Amino acid sequence: MNCKEVEERDILEEYLLDRLTEPEREEFEKHYFECGTCFSQLQTRLALQTELRRQPAMPARARGAGLLRTWIWARAFAAIVILFSAGIWWYSARNRQPSQQVAVPPVSPNVPVQVQSPSTAPSLEELARVEPPPYSGVVLRGAEDESHETFRKAMQFYAKGEYAKAIPGVRAAAKANPQSASFTFYLGACYLLTGQTDFAIVSFRKTVSLGDPAYSESAHFYLAKAYLRKKDAARAKDELQKTVQFHGSLESEATEILRQLGN
Amino acid sequence: MSLPSATSAGELRNIAERIHGGDASAETELVHEFSHRIFVMAVVRTHDREGARELVQDVLMAVIGALRKGQLQDADKLAAFVHGTARNLINNQLRSQSQRPPLEPLPEDLAQSCSAERLEGAERMRLVHQALERLGLEDRKILWMTLVQGHKPGEIAAALGLTSEVVRTRKTRAVKKVADLIRKKMSRT
Repeated sequence: MNCKEVEERDILEEYLLDRLTEPEREEFEKHYFECGTCFSQLQTRLALQTELRRQPAMPARARGAGLLRTWIWARAFAAIVILFSAGIWWYSARNRQPSQQVAVPPVSPNVPVQVQSPSTAPSLEELARVEPPPYSGVVLRGAEDESHETFRKAMQFYAKGEYAKAIPGVRAAAKANPQSASFTFYLGACYLLTGQTDFAIVSFRKTVSLGDPAYSESAHFYLAKAYLRKKDAARAKDELQKTVQFHGSLESEATEILRQLGN
Repeated sequence: MSLPSATSAGELRNIAERIHGGDASAETELVHEFSHRIFVMAVVRTHDREGARELVQDVLMAVIGALRKGQLQDADKLAAFVHGTARNLINNQLRSQSQRPPLEPLPEDLAQSCSAERLEGAERMRLVHQALERLGLEDRKILWMTLVQGHKPGEIAAALGLTSEVVRTRKTRAVKKVADLIRKKMSRT
């Protein structure tokens, strides 16, 4: 092994992620025991990996930070609208007769303020809430291949609600056996439950594309949930309608969400 | 903490021969040359940093013991010898966690070179933390998805709406920024 090969094959990362075969790993170790440049790069990546692992929720937090900023801006905008409306009301009230001052403050027709009734429809965030898809660790008779064994072990974390810990194993299983809809589906579920919505969408789409009837309905449903989380109501509706078409166990829930979305 | 040295094959041979000849300073040089490499290897293979620190001492003691007795037949192969010894001891450790016989500890002066602080590279970690804070959010995400989540550039690209090429380039650039900062700051110390 030489430095060029290390770079071209992403050996540093593959090594740190334990994805090299034993002979490859040994070959690379022999190389960095003699190569100062590659060892320096390896140390930097190991330090990065260690530091980044201390921030396990970084992407979710980043997304949360984005939402927080959006929320702050939304509140600021709402405050401006309220102040503007109050100003107009105060100005127009000054020019009215005293008897008119008790009237409901008028809202400028140019200001898009909507007064919501107490029984407001649930927000997209509320509709996006998910319950973990149930998993029954059924072990089929006969010899399990390695990917099923990996999956089964990872799903023990899932069953305990430790979705982040389940991800590496479920992903490894899905990679080893990409035609298994159960692997891709539960990978999507793990991502969704750990706030990694984009990855969840990729996994659920893959599940849908596999066309396994056991997982198609659920994949469409949770895909809809993922889109709701991304506030993409149009795509969410589309996936919910597809869910309904299966007339399965998720039909009524999908129909109800569609109704709340104002279908 | 020093940057990894680029000791030549000749220098390594010289270290091996001097240890055989009873030169204590050569033992210190050997520890400096290989302790971090053994530590990284042990961390990657065992996922146990504390255990890895102990393994570094065990490996170095075993290597020094062998060199003192002149058991390394080809002094040109010192690096391979250290690696082989490390691999065997790490594998033994993994096979029988509790049955490992306690090895003779390293002499105190050498053990200080293998202190937790030195091996963990506290200064390097501090600089990495600093460098990460300077990176853009998306670059940090790319590094996180690569090094923690283990995603390939294609998968990250699909999730972030970028191309694989862009992800690869940004990842390389981000790592380089971190490495440059470490090099710059550590070369001053």
